[in-house]
Amino acid sequence: MTATAPTSDGLTADRPPSARPPVPGKTRRIMERREARIGLLFALPAFALFLLFRFGPAIAGVALSFFDYTIGVGAEWTGVENFRRMVDDPVFWSALRVTVVMSVLIVPVSLAISTFMALMVRRSFRGSGFYRSVFFLPVVTSLVLAATVFTWVFSSNGPWSKLMGTLGFSTDSWLGSTVLVLPALAMVAIWSRFGYGMLILLARMQDLPRELEEAASIDGAGAWKRFWHIIAPQLKPTLFFLAVIETTASFQIFDLVYVMTAGGPARASYNLVFYIYDQGFKYFDLGYASALGVALFAVTLVVAVIQRYLIGRDK
Amino acid sequence: MTAVDPTTTGRVLEGAAMPVRPAPARRRRGRSGANDLTVRGKVVRYLVLSLAAVVTIFPFYAMVVLSLKPAAAIDFPASLLPTNLTTEAYDRVLGAGNIGTWLVNTLVYSLVSVVAVLLLASMAGYAFAKKRFPGREAMFWSFLAMVMVPYHVTLIPTFILIAQAGGLDTYWGLILPTLANAQAVFLMRQFILDLPDELFEAAKLDGASEWRIFVRIVLPLCKPILATLGTFVFLWHWNDFLWPLIIGQGTDHWTLTVGIASLQQQDVPLNMVLAGATISFVPIFASYLVAQRYFVEGVTSSGIKG
Repeated sequence: MTATAPTSDGLTADRPPSARPPVPGKTRRIMERREARIGLLFALPAFALFLLFRFGPAIAGVALSFFDYTIGVGAEWTGVENFRRMVDDPVFWSALRVTVVMSVLIVPVSLAISTFMALMVRRSFRGSGFYRSVFFLPVVTSLVLAATVFTWVFSSNGPWSKLMGTLGFSTDSWLGSTVLVLPALAMVAIWSRFGYGMLILLARMQDLPRELEEAASIDGAGAWKRFWHIIAPQLKPTLFFLAVIETTASFQIFDLVYVMTAGGPARASYNLVFYIYDQGFKYFDLGYASALGVALFAVTLVVAVIQRYLIGRDK
Repeated sequence: MTAVDPTTTGRVLEGAAMPVRPAPARRRRGRSGANDLTVRGKVVRYLVLSLAAVVTIFPFYAMVVLSLKPAAAIDFPASLLPTNLTTEAYDRVLGAGNIGTWLVNTLVYSLVSVVAVLLLASMAGYAFAKKRFPGREAMFWSFLAMVMVPYHVTLIPTFILIAQAGGLDTYWGLILPTLANAQAVFLMRQFILDLPDELFEAAKLDGASEWRIFVRIVLPLCKPILATLGTFVFLWHWNDFLWPLIIGQGTDHWTLTVGIASLQQQDVPLNMVLAGATISFVPIFASYLVAQRYFVEGVTSSGIKG
């Protein structure tokens, strides 16, 4: 009953295949065929679902972008018409701009906060576990739920507007401003995600050797110098991984926009994913929506390559 | 995309579970600096962390307190004091009927998916890790390659497929496409790969059937990874929004996330919206308190949340 991890006694586990009892050729072939059949049977249910709902749709998604397709009406091959339309579509360019701006607002700040918080809690001290748990809680919380609360936080008589008023700024809701709506959404996105980056970085930091840092400290290097010259370089691969993950996630923000702004005001928070949703499930223009999906995929790939170049390159 | 070793993040959590961890013996105490903060440093650290913790927790606190206020009393900051509490909003939101249905739908969506994904992924993971069969490599690599393709490319064809098959407003239409989980298969395969073959071969020599070996030997050994994966799949489905939104057309077929989003968009009083949000949050929060380690491992080893 108890699930103890198998502690392989090195003797049997490392026995070379030749040391097994000899099996007659014919019996072995039968056994191998039986093994193959069983392997196939075990893998098949998952693989069938996978073909049906991932592999097939991925190919169909790209293919559909070359069609004019409406449910119930049918499909018509239109070549690159959808993409030509996209190039001339001001809404597409505005949605792309919103997507990129949101990502630029979110990713660097989120990574900075994650790193800072990871540095703060990386040593064990009284309460460090409590803080880690608190900072991770938003990560497991539904974005829809977060969005309902933050809509109130940013409303014109909510705490954020009151705070702005106290600081001498306008108390108008940020969600109603074409300029401030994206920073407001970015703050919610960062709130919901920084704990993820923090834990990933924390795991990496705990694997770093302490000796370098201690030596630097004895030589009189301050906290900032120790971070910048010793810790940060060793975190580079992890930061790259996080940058890609966070960028992808920020490109796909949907729940927050749907609940908090519905893309407004005046399309100021109308991002690509929201445009795909509108085209696909409000106007049922599924061909064009697929083309927009392909565009989003392309943008994600291009940005990942650029990040690879920027972060991966040596000074 | 899994660049993180779940066991590493698990260790981080060990720290979280036991706030005061004894210092490892190898930790040499320098003068000050790298290891030990000055008293002033410690005070600053506590201040900064506490401020960050307050900012992080504030939305949760506001959600719960405001949901317990009468509809008229939602004016900041007086409304945030935990006085004058009433369950009026809960009575009204539960009385309005739909939220019970949404809760049931969410439970079905999450629980059925967890069981099905765990079964399918562990079977496939076992086959990929321990069996030789024609097409194994091709299958496995096609699984891996698809992890890279974003959700929104497959969303529309999947919707068309389900709509044409009559799956809108049904449980199977909601659940079935989400069972195709390449990351789950990958995680299971990696875990089972490390189990020694001798465990299975001994049982086979005793004449046990393959299914019996799978159920009696493989699955029990996989308990840790099943718990991690199961928590993640549960969380993902519980919080999922876009797919239930487009599959559930009538209000009876919504999940909690879709229902709460619709409450927010109608002119429902804030305390009722937040009561709904609190109802959807409590199960997750309770599980997080009990099984935090699995939440952390699940999320950090599986990457992106939707």
